[in-house]
Order: sequence, then structure tokens, then C-alpha cells
Amino acid sequence: MNFEEFEELKTHFSGEAADLIPVLQKIQGAQGYLSPESIRRVSRWLRISENEIYGVATFFAQFRFQKPGRHVIKVCLGTACHVRGGEQILDVLKRRLNIEPGAVTADGLYQLERVACLGCCALAPVVSIDGKIYGQTSVLKIQELLDGGLHHDQP
Amino acid sequence: MSSQTQPPIEKKTIRLEINHRAVTCPEGATILRAAELNGIYIPSLCSHKDLSPFGGCRLCMVEVEGMRGYPLACSTPAAEGQKVLTETAALRDMRREIMELILSEHPSSCLLCSEKEECSGVLQTIRKSGVTTGCRYCPNDGQCELQALVEKLGITDIHYPIYYRGYEAEHDDPFFDRDYNICILCGRCVRMCQEVRGTAVLAFTSRGPKTQIGPAFGRSHIEAGCEFCGACLDVCPTGALADKTSKWDGPPDGSAVSTCPFCALGCQVELFHKDGRLSKARAHLDPEINDGQLCVRGRFCMPETTHHHQRARKPMIKHGAYFREVSWPEALDAVAARLKNVRPGEFLMAVSPDLTNEGLYAARKFVTESLGSPGLDSTARWALPGGADVWSRLLSLPISIKGLASAEAVLAVGLDSRFSFSVAGVEIRRALKEGAKLVTIDSRESNLARYTDHWLRPRPGGEGETLLALAEKMAGAPPESKGTREESASGLTTRDLDEAARVLGSGKSLAVLVGPAVFGRDKGGAAARALLMLAGRENTIFLPLYQGANTRGALELGILDQSAGGMRLEDVLEGRAKPKVIYLVGETPFLERPDCDYLIAQDIYLPPFEVDAFLPAASFAEAGGTLTNVEGRVQEIVQIECLPDGAIAGFVRPDWFIFSQLSSRVSQRGFVYESWRDVLRDISGHVQGFPAVPDRRPRRMTWKTDFRDVKASPESASGGDLVLLLEPGGFRHRGIDLSFVVEGLTELKLEEGFRLHPSDLAALGLEPGETLTLSWNGTEASAPVRADADLPPGAAAAWRPSAYGGLLHRRSLLPLFRQPDDVLSVRVASRKGKKSRKT
Repeated sequence: MNFEEFEELKTHFSGEAADLIPVLQKIQGAQGYLSPESIRRVSRWLRISENEIYGVATFFAQFRFQKPGRHVIKVCLGTACHVRGGEQILDVLKRRLNIEPGAVTADGLYQLERVACLGCCALAPVVSIDGKIYGQTSVLKIQELLDGGLHHDQP
Repeated sequence: MSSQTQPPIEKKTIRLEINHRAVTCPEGATILRAAELNGIYIPSLCSHKDLSPFGGCRLCMVEVEGMRGYPLACSTPAAEGQKVLTETAALRDMRREIMELILSEHPSSCLLCSEKEECSGVLQTIRKSGVTTGCRYCPNDGQCELQALVEKLGITDIHYPIYYRGYEAEHDDPFFDRDYNICILCGRCVRMCQEVRGTAVLAFTSRGPKTQIGPAFGRSHIEAGCEFCGACLDVCPTGALADKTSKWDGPPDGSAVSTCPFCALGCQVELFHKDGRLSKARAHLDPEINDGQLCVRGRFCMPETTHHHQRARKPMIKHGAYFREVSWPEALDAVAARLKNVRPGEFLMAVSPDLTNEGLYAARKFVTESLGSPGLDSTARWALPGGADVWSRLLSLPISIKGLASAEAVLAVGLDSRFSFSVAGVEIRRALKEGAKLVTIDSRESNLARYTDHWLRPRPGGEGETLLALAEKMAGAPPESKGTREESASGLTTRDLDEAARVLGSGKSLAVLVGPAVFGRDKGGAAARALLMLAGRENTIFLPLYQGANTRGALELGILDQSAGGMRLEDVLEGRAKPKVIYLVGETPFLERPDCDYLIAQDIYLPPFEVDAFLPAASFAEAGGTLTNVEGRVQEIVQIECLPDGAIAGFVRPDWFIFSQLSSRVSQRGFVYESWRDVLRDISGHVQGFPAVPDRRPRRMTWKTDFRDVKASPESASGGDLVLLLEPGGFRHRGIDLSFVVEGLTELKLEEGFRLHPSDLAALGLEPGETLTLSWNGTEASAPVRADADLPPGAAAAWRPSAYGGLLHRRSLLPLFRQPDDVLSVRVASRKGKKSRKT
């Protein structure tokens, strides 16, 4: 988030400590995560220490502190997907991308997440890539998708 | 006006019933506080009287008639007619259950060991060497709130599965270790850091079972801006936070309240002793000055300063090529023999502004009466730029530390309170919490920048000018010279100043703090003039800060008057005068032996050069005395160590005692003192306004001479590559820099060479740690560089010590320390990259 964007964001708030969470949400909405620099800026503006802000932000699962990957792969491990082999799909992805769920590959391309349910259990096992749902997938299908460099149609 | 003369309105008391007993408490108190006030015990781990209610440990639950469930005593206000029960069968059961839950995540070997009963009996052995028998799991064993409570609740078993968090203990930061496996997440340290200190370095991070305490992004405490005040340690109910130096000492034998000997604020400390030696210092809850808070020096540096293995504890005399230990009479005779033969004009004594009042007075009496010499000087004069007459005026202003917290507006000039004068910083943040406004004038981003309402950032070194311009604006006085003086001099516009004056307001009570660096940089005396101008304003208090713990004492006791006829230290440094005999008392203003026939040093450490006689002085822990703080309070330093002469304690003597012994040897006009109290009585008879016994009332100084206005000569440091700022400081105590003996201070790397803004470092192509050589007026000095993002770009900063003990590694900076200006325009002479760096 550059200086102008941040100054623009300031105009939407009164600059009180109570604005902290909505401000953090806006920043995460704009840049995808909370960087140390943006937390420092918020600290100076709202007069809350960086450590306190970090404490508040880490309390909520919604805030991220790492730059998100360009492609977000979410593997469903809800009951239905678990039964139909979601775990194996996650395993393959973990090995192929060499990261744990919640992390981003070193080149910043992929981010792997495990989710509890995507709400379409009839399609199990389900994987969502950049918001697009891939139903009845398999280890092979996922591998093919990744081999193709994820040239899927953007929704 | 009439309301001020009446006694303050008493808080309404309310009546309630605790455990069927009728009790009273002031309105607004919690049930827990009401019980405490009436001597009724309610167990609790997370509540603390200085901190807000938290309700984390749940142990203080009570039964209140008419209230549903089990309310927490720490967060439920006491109410009229309430009926409270603190000990019922149900409560006892629940408390035990809660405690077991807490213990299921806390290593419990110190609590529930089956051998516990017998263990203490076999701890002592009759072996020759000191061995540890029994278990030492936790530094807090025997002084632990949790341990005491487990015993009180009678818990002998935990019915829950034990979970060990498996965190690595954190030893990386200086001064204290952290082991968050032992932490019970009571949040006292977090609240202390946020509410009382206002620094908020500590916070709860994550949640649920992963909750941990620490700074953001897993940073170290140094990076996160920790002041290392140790307040978190003092409230920790477990051993999670432990002082590195006294970690395994066990419970102390006793304690006494004393005065911190390290700076002019004169904070009250509680000194603990173990086996007759000082073991640690804690803040004393003294409402007059520090109110339970300290800085890194007061909290952590005392034991190492007096117990370091290099401490010199025996008199030594040079005989030919040998420098050997001798007895006191022999040393005194040898020194007296030399002093007897010296002509008054060829003698110079330098006394440290860290000496007690008694030491300073006895030194003066010795020089002027016994030796009849005018040769008395002190680096106290360096700590008071502008001279004694300016400072006696400044110290006659209403000075108050306590008043900071109740000010409605605060003006802080050139003050960074992170490691020095931290207590003043705490008081400022206390005022801000009450709604005060803060204006800072600082060319560098100080630790107060985060809280400031308006930050005036002048060009480096322009703080004094800016303060004067602002004072003129606030006093409504016409600017001394017309036009846009403030713009050119300080790089600030009139609009900035108007805004600052508006923030400070006109009718509000104002506190003005000026850091020690400002006076030194301010050749024209603008800062002093500004303060005197503001003194005309109503409801204004001041805090002009300077180096040296007892500099004001030195000023009042006339140490600085003496140099009129005698030599000055500068004369010796610059070779203009060559005294035959130099006597250094707690002073090391040189790195190399000055040119003289006979050199006497009297200090707690040997100076870094050869001396002819060394007399070991007693440290603050080994001798009593008094110090005069910036407000003029004459406060007692308590002698906490009274060990007999010998291998451990050495053969140290108080400064005043050494002078009194020497005086009868050198002249008929000797003086004899039995104790420091005699000296203080003597002082009060000779120095007007000085008390005869320690007196903690603030005194405003009386000034005799008129304030001679120093003509302003704002020299603009320009034309070079960088503006170099020399900051008075380091951590001076007597002749040494504390970083020489206190390992933790070395880790803070405060005195490390040149500091530059990261962008300047990058432009020069230097990495931190590489060497930079700066030149000015044909002289140069080199030192390693370090990045400091707080500095403005285009500026470099370095400490200028006034005591050189232990700073031999800064020899290459000596030309810089020697030159008189605090702001210099310098050129980059050379820089050494990675290749030429020594490995």
C-alpha cells in the first residue's frame, strides 16, 4: 500500500483507536495481507503500538501477515471430501509445492489452504482454485491442472 | 480559590458484609480491594493493585448474595449492603479445579514432587566445594506467588493431562531471560507495559492454546523498542521472567530503600541483599519521583557496577617499575608526602559529578583549606553547558518530576527517554493518558514521536533555536530579530510554530522538558533563554536535564566556583597548563595519561592509563551518603553492603573518609569526620539552604549573579557531506562508562561508533559494522557505522562520553571527543567495505 493509498484510507476514519479492526480489514482488502510497514503506519496514525496491533490482529483468524500467493488453492477436508480422498489430494499438493497448508511457495505463485467445507459436498472431493470450484477431482486431475500452469478460465 | 484551602473531599465509604463480617471500603473499590483493606484474603494471580482488573485467572471468584453465578472479586465493584462469601465448599472446590487447570500447562516439579517434604533437609551438604543439591528448575523457587498459592489451596495432585508447551527459553535479549513455558498468561506484564509504562512492547499474540506473550512479528525486545525497565519482571507471579544477574540467587535476605546513583532524577530504589552483598534493585513505590518505575540503569546495572571482577579494591602505589598493592597507611603516607610538597598553583583535582554531596564537599575542603590550592575542577562543568550562572538560574525555576503527570500540555525538547530519564517518559505518557497534549522538538525521531500531537523537526542541532522561537510566540514577545529567522535557523516555518503553540494552548498547565543534548548544541544559549522566558507563564513547570547524578550538588557546593583562579581540565587537555600533580576523584576525562609528574586516582575502577597512586573508593553500595537531584532533594544512599575488609569486600573507603585521612597528614588544618552524617551537618553550616540531614523536599536554587546573556551566534553547520551530532552521554558512572562493566548495556550497542540514516549508509555503500572515517578542520576520526532510522537523512550521530574508563576501543574517536562543538559539518574521508574489514 503506497503513501497516497494510505492517506486516502485515512480520510474514511476518524483516527481513533476503535477504528483499528476496520482499518486493518481495509488494508488487508487492498494489499491482501498486513505487512510490517503497514502496521507501523497504522501504529503512528492511531497511536497504538505495533505490538498491540499485532496482538489484536493475531487474535483473529481473518488476518494474514504474509503476502498471499498469486493462486490460492483451497483443499476441502469436510466430512464428505475427507471420505472421498481429500486428504490424499492435500498430501500430493503439499509434496508437489513443498509447503504446508497456510504457507506460500517461495516464488510467491501458490498458496495452499485447507478448508473445512466449501458447501458443495455432492461434488466431493472438492478443490477451489482462485475461487473456482473443481468438483469430483482426483490426484491426477489436480496434477494435470498444475502441469498446465493453472490456465483455467477465470470466473 | 476557597475550594483549594478546604481539605480534599473524602471519598464516600460504603458498608458491606464479607464472610458475615461488617466491613467498610471507599466507593469505587472492587470486592477484592475491599477484602484486602480489611485483611481478608482472596486468592488471585492476575490482579495487581497498580493494574486494571483483568479477570483472567478466575481464582478470586466469590459468592455474592443476589448475584447469579460466581462473580470475580477483582472485577466486581463493592456495593452498599452487599453480602459476600469468599470461602465456601463450592468455591474451594472450584478454585482447586481452576488451579489444576492452570497447572496442567505449568511445569509442576517444584510444586508437587513426592520428595518435596524431605528435600529441603538434605540441601546442605558437608562437602568442601559449593555444590547444588536438590532441584533448581525455576529461578523463582521459594519466592513464587503460584507456588505459595498451590500450598495455600493444598493441591497435591493434578487430575488433568499435563501439557508442556515446548517453547524455547529466550535468552537473546539483555538483562532478563524469558521462559514462556512457565508463563500462566495472567497478563500482568502486558498490562504493566501497556497501562503503566505506556510503551506497549508486550502483547498477547495469537489465541487459544497458542497464546503467547511477546512483541510483534516475533521481534526481539531490542527491536520492539523495549526500555528494559524491568517492570514486567516485578509483577510476574511466576519465574517466567528472570533477571539474568540474580536469577539463581534465591530469596534475598533483606532489603532497604535507597536512591539510584545513576542520574539526576534520583529515583527511589529498593535494594536487596543476599549474603551481605547487593543482589538486585527494584523500583520503590515512591509517589514523589518514580512511583514504582525505573530505567534500565536503575533496575539492572547496579550489582554488576559494584561487583564486576575488574573492580579495584586495594590501594596501590607505584614503586619504581612496580605498581603494587599496599596497606592504607602506606598509601596515604605516600600520597600525602607528594601533596605536601606541591605548590598550590601546580595542583589540579578533578571531582566527578557522580560523587555524593559528602564526597564533593570533603574534596573541596581538602583542596581549598588543607592544600590551599585553587586547582579544583569537575566534568560537572561539561554537563552544564552555558556555565554555572545560567544553570543556577535554570535550577531556580519550578522544577518538578511528579508534576509532569498532571500537566495538561507537555513540551519535550531533544529528549529520548528510552534508556535515559525513562521515568520522565513514563510520567509524560501518564499525562497523555489523562488527555494532555504533547509537542516535541527534535531533529531525530525520539521514542516520544509515537505519542506526539505535533512534532517540530528542525535541522539537526536547531532544537534550542526552535524552542526560543516557540517561547517567543507563546509569550507574545516580538521575535528578537525580525523576518523569518526561525525559518532559516531551524528549518521550520511560522505555520509550524503557530500550530505547536495552538496545541500547547494558552491557559493550560504546561511542563517543559529539555534533554541534555539540547544545551550542549546550543551555543547561543537559546534554550536557556527560552526557558527563562517561559518561566513568566503561569502554571508552568520545568525539567532541564543534564548528565551526572550529583551535578546539581557540585554546583551548589561550589565545586564550579573554584576554577576562577585555578586550572581547568580543558587547559590540561589542550596543553595550556601543566600541573605537577593531578588528583582524579571518580573522573577519567582522558584516555591517555596526562602530562604530569604524579597522578593520583581515587575511584572504583582503575583508569585506563598508568597512575602513580590508586586509592580504592567505596561504591554506592558500600558507603552511605546523599545525592542532590534535579529538584534539589537531598536524598540518602543507603549502605547496603557492610562486609569487613578482606578478600571479598576489599579495602575500599568512602571518598570523604579518604580526604579526611589525607587532610590531617598534609596540614595542621585537617578535618575529621566520623560518618557521612557529620559531613552533611558540616555542609549545612557552610552552604546556605543545604539541609543538615537527608531531606526529600524539593528546593529551588537561589541565584546570585545576573544571567549574562550569551550572544547568539547560530553557526550553521553546512558545506560538508554530513552534519555530525555529538550527544553527551554514554552511561557514565564515576570514571567509567557502565557499558564497560554491564554486559547487557554492551548488547544494546548504544555507544557503537557513528550512527547514520539507512539511506545515507546505502548511499555510502556501507554495511553496518564497517568503518567510516570523517574529517573536519584537518582532523579525522574513524569508527564503525550503524544504521539508525530515527536520525534525519544527512546527519550522523555519535556519543561523546565524559568518562573514558573502559572506552579504550573508542580510541579512534578521541579527536572527535576533544573538539569543542557538539554540531559539526564533516566530510567523508574514507570508508572501508567488507574486503578490508578485519575478521
